[in-house]
Amino acid sequence: MSSEIAAASKAVVMGPSFWIATAIFILAYGLIISEKIHKTIVGIFGAAVMIVLGIVTQEDAFNSLDLGIDWNVIFLLVSMMIIINIMKPTGVFEYIAIKSAKIAKGKPFMIMAIFSVVTAIVSAFLDNVTTVLLIAPVTLLICQALELDVVPFLITEAIASNIGGTATLIGDPPNIMIASKAQLDFMAFIYHLTPVIIVVLIAYIITIKLIFGKRLQVREELKQRIMAMNEREAIKDPVLLKKSLVVLAITITGFILHGFLHMEPATIALFGAGLLLLVSGNKEPHHILAEAEWTTLFFFMGLFIIIGGVVKVGLIKWMSVQVLNITQGNMFATSMIVMWFSAFASAFIDNIPYVATMNPLIIDMAKQLWPNLSGTELLHHPDLLPIWWSLALGACLGGNGTAIGASANVIVVGMAEKMGKPISFKKFMLYGMPLMIESVIICTLYVWLRYYVIKI
Amino acid sequence: MKAKDIMIPLEDYLKPDNTLKEAVNIFKTAKRDDTRVGVRGLPVIDEKGKMVGFLTIRDILKAVFPSYMSLMDLGDFTWDGMVEDMARKIGGKRVSELMTQKVISVNEDAPLMECVDHMLRNNIRRLPVTAKDGRVVGILYEMDIFIAITKAMN
Repeated sequence: MSSEIAAASKAVVMGPSFWIATAIFILAYGLIISEKIHKTIVGIFGAAVMIVLGIVTQEDAFNSLDLGIDWNVIFLLVSMMIIINIMKPTGVFEYIAIKSAKIAKGKPFMIMAIFSVVTAIVSAFLDNVTTVLLIAPVTLLICQALELDVVPFLITEAIASNIGGTATLIGDPPNIMIASKAQLDFMAFIYHLTPVIIVVLIAYIITIKLIFGKRLQVREELKQRIMAMNEREAIKDPVLLKKSLVVLAITITGFILHGFLHMEPATIALFGAGLLLLVSGNKEPHHILAEAEWTTLFFFMGLFIIIGGVVKVGLIKWMSVQVLNITQGNMFATSMIVMWFSAFASAFIDNIPYVATMNPLIIDMAKQLWPNLSGTELLHHPDLLPIWWSLALGACLGGNGTAIGASANVIVVGMAEKMGKPISFKKFMLYGMPLMIESVIICTLYVWLRYYVIKI
Repeated sequence: MKAKDIMIPLEDYLKPDNTLKEAVNIFKTAKRDDTRVGVRGLPVIDEKGKMVGFLTIRDILKAVFPSYMSLMDLGDFTWDGMVEDMARKIGGKRVSELMTQKVISVNEDAPLMECVDHMLRNNIRRLPVTAKDGRVVGILYEMDIFIAITKAMN
């Protein structure tokens, strides 16, 4: 084994293009982390420089699956954004939130728990930021009605959204990226990640009960304010709502069946978005399309090209050799390192560039371990699968560690500040970090038991 | 006709460190002209005589309206007493925190059409009128322009 690794290491030629690409990569990531320049601008410019200097050709950047933009990811994201943008004005999200508060009978901890569960479930299907943007305004209203401090509610929802997002292929961008590169389908995520996420979520609810349960008390008459709300008034467009729910059901069924249908998830999502645009009777789609988060989408595109550059010159391969040298091909050790390193890395840096780098690294590592395999035989090697799941769990859940670890956290911190209740970096970490470590411990036990002891 | 011909000369104004409570009382007692008492907005002028902002009752409505309400359609889920609760909380805030800082004003020699242009374009009903040295010398009200229009018609 080690002679093979040494041979692979020699195969990387560290010529001028290697160093130029590496410099662009390090500079771009440095700027993204420092937040001196907006990350999307860094992504677009870095990608352009990679092409201008001839590290990758434009053909590579725009059309190569290994070296360029992963259109699976882009079209999946943009399609889901379109579906949500059409659904938003129907009032369905306000309805769900008000209904949840009433099911909780206005009891503060029950509201916190139910809102967390609802956020987690919605996040499993929609983007986390969108989910938080939908639930947070209602949370602020409910907390004002109950005269409660909104900060614990906002923090618990952001964390719940990151937990829920981990459960499915479409829940969180790292999973979308992993699914595309590793060719894993929707049901594989349901089968491998959803069970452990349910356990993580239950443990999370119990933990927040211990932390906040006793502190949250409200007077009876304030609960009446909640019970007096009529959630039916939230529904502004019942016809569009029915159409949206039917299309959403078709889309989710499509995701469940996409492996069986031999269609990519992006195909399913694009079909859903197209169908909803068609049946919604929208005469002027301009504002629906304009509301898609183009800054995020262009960040992805730029990043894919930058990563393509360092893949092409062999930097990623060289890094994978170093990882193999450390782990000596011990796959259990590798999966544990991947999970915990990913968790702490994602707590402090954006998990999107992180996973974009890790994906080709893992594939390069696999190529060196099993040089005779290719395609899904390689990507779905039984010894490799737990590594993908460890990466997904670590990178998604790691975001809970700090206020900047995940976009959902950044959103709630921003909202709290606007309300005159700033959440300091330290305060978020005080809750986020222990809860993140708790969830990763659960995942560690799960991966160890399921893939290395029971082996199913 | 120019701005200075129909403006109401400035008598009452707010100071940046007036509380909102003081401001609403000044609104109530401010004289608009010899017959009319009570205004819906006043310029905010600092101790050097410089206009630093403008406060209207719309700014006060915005102050009782929680920022999250504008993010989603939540008006149906509010309760009796909510505005009053918010009002009690903001009474002690300073005028400088809530005023509009970018004030659109006109020079006293500005033609009336320029004033109409500002009002329509920016959806405002009153314009501070300034002298050459920048001091506010009066307020031009939408209603007074309307009266000027009515007179011209006849």
